[in-house]
Amino acid sequence: MKGFILEKKDLKSLLEIFLTKYKVYGPVRSGYDSTFEEIKSIDQLHLDYISTVLPPKKFFLPPKEKLFSFEIQDGKFTIEESKFHEKSLIFGIHPCDIHAILKLDKFFLEDYKDIYYESRRKNTVLVAFNCVEPDEYSFCYKMGTGPYMEKGYDILLTDIGTKYLIEIGTDIGQHLIDKLNLEKATKHDFDEKERRFILTEKKFKKHMNTTWLSKIAQENLDHEVWRDLGEHGGVAGSFPCLSCGSCTFVCPTCYCNDIYDKMDLNLKSGTRNRELDSCQLLEYGEVALGGNFRRDRKDRIKHWMLCKFGAAAGGKNSSCVGCGRCIRVCPSKIDLTEVAKILRGD
Amino acid sequence: MSNEYYPRPAIIKDIIDETVNTKTYFLKYFDEKVQKDFMWHPGQFLMLSVFGVGESAISISSVDKNNYINATIRDVGNVTNKIFEFKKGDSIGMRGAYGAGWPLEKMIDKDVLIIGGGMGIAPLRGVIHYIQKNRLKYKQLEIIYGAKTPDDLIFKYEFDKWKKIKNSTLHLTADELTTIPSFECQEGLVTSCFPRMKTHHRNAIALLCGPEIMMRYAAKCLETIGYKDDQIYLSLERRMKCGIGNCGHCQIGLKYVCKDGPVFNYSDIKPFIQPL
Repeated sequence: MKGFILEKKDLKSLLEIFLTKYKVYGPVRSGYDSTFEEIKSIDQLHLDYISTVLPPKKFFLPPKEKLFSFEIQDGKFTIEESKFHEKSLIFGIHPCDIHAILKLDKFFLEDYKDIYYESRRKNTVLVAFNCVEPDEYSFCYKMGTGPYMEKGYDILLTDIGTKYLIEIGTDIGQHLIDKLNLEKATKHDFDEKERRFILTEKKFKKHMNTTWLSKIAQENLDHEVWRDLGEHGGVAGSFPCLSCGSCTFVCPTCYCNDIYDKMDLNLKSGTRNRELDSCQLLEYGEVALGGNFRRDRKDRIKHWMLCKFGAAAGGKNSSCVGCGRCIRVCPSKIDLTEVAKILRGD
Repeated sequence: MSNEYYPRPAIIKDIIDETVNTKTYFLKYFDEKVQKDFMWHPGQFLMLSVFGVGESAISISSVDKNNYINATIRDVGNVTNKIFEFKKGDSIGMRGAYGAGWPLEKMIDKDVLIIGGGMGIAPLRGVIHYIQKNRLKYKQLEIIYGAKTPDDLIFKYEFDKWKKIKNSTLHLTADELTTIPSFECQEGLVTSCFPRMKTHHRNAIALLCGPEIMMRYAAKCLETIGYKDDQIYLSLERRMKCGIGNCGHCQIGLKYVCKDGPVFNYSDIKPFIQPL
């Protein structure tokens, strides 16, 4: 095992190295919550954050972006593509969110490559933080996506008391810390990391048994839990779904997007844009002549949950990572883990 | 690095009126190289762009001997509305072809039963043309095509040609015989032709395209006369934004209609076809 030790007071010098090379984003306190924002100095950083409102997918698949602009002249059109060159670094990202990005990679970088996602992903360095204090709604340890992680990071930090244990995932990561001449980590440091991991695992409050879950969900398309969720009194103390789409917006693996054109006032030029869409909204499955393939609310909430359980097309790459954001933001208090329990008959 | 979202300019070489609200557009990429590289398979679709309005998924209704890509379009939404204002010589954004088409390989040495409803015959027309050209590969060809009224039937000018294909039968139906058509047309739904069918289920593949409710009933009727689920193929319609499996809209069960379809084997998607 190879690792380095960074004294907590030296975190500033690490951040300074990052700041000279990259635009750095990190967790910042905002009201009672945390968000990922641009960081200019260590004072802004809020590394003890539990979970951010929006996941870091916003850096790779922005809520709204321009795909290209076009110009129409005498019935002919020309297209100008958008380009991105910004090199950035995300500091303090948690394991569940890294796993979500790995899932998005599979989705956007296989078959047809999405060049917008690809260029952002290539130009971004991920500096991860292992979780020591889980969120009250998270259940990542059941999904194999936390609280600690093995892959997907460039640099990984673990809080082991007065020091951080640094592990390196890529050459880019190694190159970044070379200058600091850090002390090598000992077996004792790794043992301490392991000890804290076991302590953290005990702190989780939510659980989800995923054994056969995707198969069970696929075979129970007419289970009464869907009707209860969509139209009747809710499930396990929740209210019925309001189809507000909050869960899809905060989900780190939800990628569904809408593509639309916007004309400039001169009616000669305009842009084609992409915006996050939600399968919970009525218009999502609408087709010409008023047809709608998911008109009922229960069909929409069912579709989303199937996706998260890995039982829908998108779900192959956008299944749940157990971050718990959807449970926290749901105005109806719908809990994914409770639905899974009912489906499984636990 | 190529960008799949980038529509390429195509020219409208010709337009044919099919019905009051349906036209067939003959399209060709402006760039000779792009046109040369264009590959298609019957059943695939295009993404047509009208800048400032948006993009729509339109199935390819054949590629003719001039190499013009035929797109048969009904005026039903924002994009198609605008396309209807276009004239011969105008340019339009186009990308594709996308999706998986009809199982032409699996149909070899078998009877082929084609069932189209309304606009649903458009993606099937490519198959009919293909069989016409490769007649010896396939056995009996039977086409059942229905629409709301005789006037709503499209490709009327090709009916005679289809009838003349060796070993083939053409049944035309209309839900209501509002006018007396110049061709033989029976009142009723497509399923009303089933008793007179010449193809036998033992060695046949059925290809269905039309409104989902029609496909549901037609597939059910086919099952009762002995067709197995894996002998039936359907072409589905879903909302699509990207055409390449990146927007999520067209999911059905564990499949994307744009990438894994639009043509599916009935056994794969049976539990997910619901009434509209």
